[in-house]
Amino acid sequence: MDKKLKETILNPILKGNPITVLILGICSSLAVTVQLKGALVMAISVIAVTGLSSLICSLLRNSIPNRVRIIVQLVVVAMMVILVDQILKAGEGTYAIDKQLSVYIGLIITNCIVMGRIEAFALGNKPIPSLLDGLANGVGYGLILIIVAFFRELFGSGTLFGLRVLPAGYIPNNLVILPPFALILLGCIIWAHRAFDKDLQEK
Amino acid sequence: MNTNSNVYTVVYTALVVVVVAAILSFTAMKLGPLQNANAKAETLRQMMSAAGVKPTDELYATRNQDILRLYAENIEQAYTIGLDGAQNGTLGTDGGRIELVDRLKPQDKAIKEGGQATLPVYVFKGGICVIPVYGVGLWGPVWGYIAFQPDGKTIAGAYFDHESETPGLGAKIKDEAWFREKFAGRQVAFGSEPLFNLSKNAETGGAANAVDAITGATMTSKGLNDALNVWFKAYEKHFTDNAKAEEE
Repeated sequence: MDKKLKETILNPILKGNPITVLILGICSSLAVTVQLKGALVMAISVIAVTGLSSLICSLLRNSIPNRVRIIVQLVVVAMMVILVDQILKAGEGTYAIDKQLSVYIGLIITNCIVMGRIEAFALGNKPIPSLLDGLANGVGYGLILIIVAFFRELFGSGTLFGLRVLPAGYIPNNLVILPPFALILLGCIIWAHRAFDKDLQEK
Repeated sequence: MNTNSNVYTVVYTALVVVVVAAILSFTAMKLGPLQNANAKAETLRQMMSAAGVKPTDELYATRNQDILRLYAENIEQAYTIGLDGAQNGTLGTDGGRIELVDRLKPQDKAIKEGGQATLPVYVFKGGICVIPVYGVGLWGPVWGYIAFQPDGKTIAGAYFDHESETPGLGAKIKDEAWFREKFAGRQVAFGSEPLFNLSKNAETGGAANAVDAITGATMTSKGLNDALNVWFKAYEKHFTDNAKAEEE
């Protein structure tokens, strides 16, 4: 694999993580991280949307009229989001999770990561690198979601993926379930990320 | 080709919209039946949970087709009534026609503003009678299914659900089994006011129609209390007429 392609895949997951470095997609990462199951489905949905929208927009990049490019991107992203929502609603196992995520699946369309990557990368690059860039950004987002959800479900409900992990005597911490704690946790993750990766610290 | 000319822009955007619309309608058509089956199974699970056909966990672990069979085995009759309490339609007993949550919203409006209503009544084995309730919580709709004993006033069981109440607070109406279990054995005071009382310290007085509201979920509890009272009122005539008919 050539160096540039490797950079395209690894950068969004580590040094250029959309949540912890670019601080994008915070809204949904606070809302859907109460339980791991929901976070996982949300992560997969976002990965699918970012990857495929980037791919489609990259395929169309030479034909899109410059003046209406944002509108065309929006239509493509909206289509992908609706498709994901429809598919989740149709699956017997995913129906309940789609209900639990409610509006947040639809709100993927407003997730800055999706439009940001199309505008910044897909419009100027070939389809395959664009697909990989979209997927990698989705993975970077999903990874943080899973980490936050792990702690919130563990200490907020005493379970992981719905299975009891902490002893029955554990009294669930209600603060952990509420959105502000996700923000606190996110702050801690950013702190850890920056402490670990010196390049991210301002001089 | 000049991709910035007006003609090109208009034709291009029109084309994109048509193609996207076609793709979306095609998927909606293809996936529609599956989605409806899911929504229906979900409603049946909630009704059967309220009616006590099986424990809630078991119902949620059961596949859709088995849920339909379970429903067909346990339902005795299903029909609709008007606001006057008289039967005005049948729903069949094969699970083919049930009122989904989406259909409760217009009913809620009809009850509150007066008008034509077709309120569903599901009678399960042993004369357990399940009715829906629907109202507005803090962030979105809240609804539930209440099962009545054959006497038409004692609650046999209940199940509540919501669209987007706060996790850990309002969402407890669904997540916490102890909340819905508290409704079993309570009695709706048909013929007096209030019909039901879900509020702070309501249980302290020892009234048969009272359940304590959930701490920290004031608006959700209030919305649910309204939902219960509005819908019990709509069904009041049906239940009191039935009770009278049995006495005679």
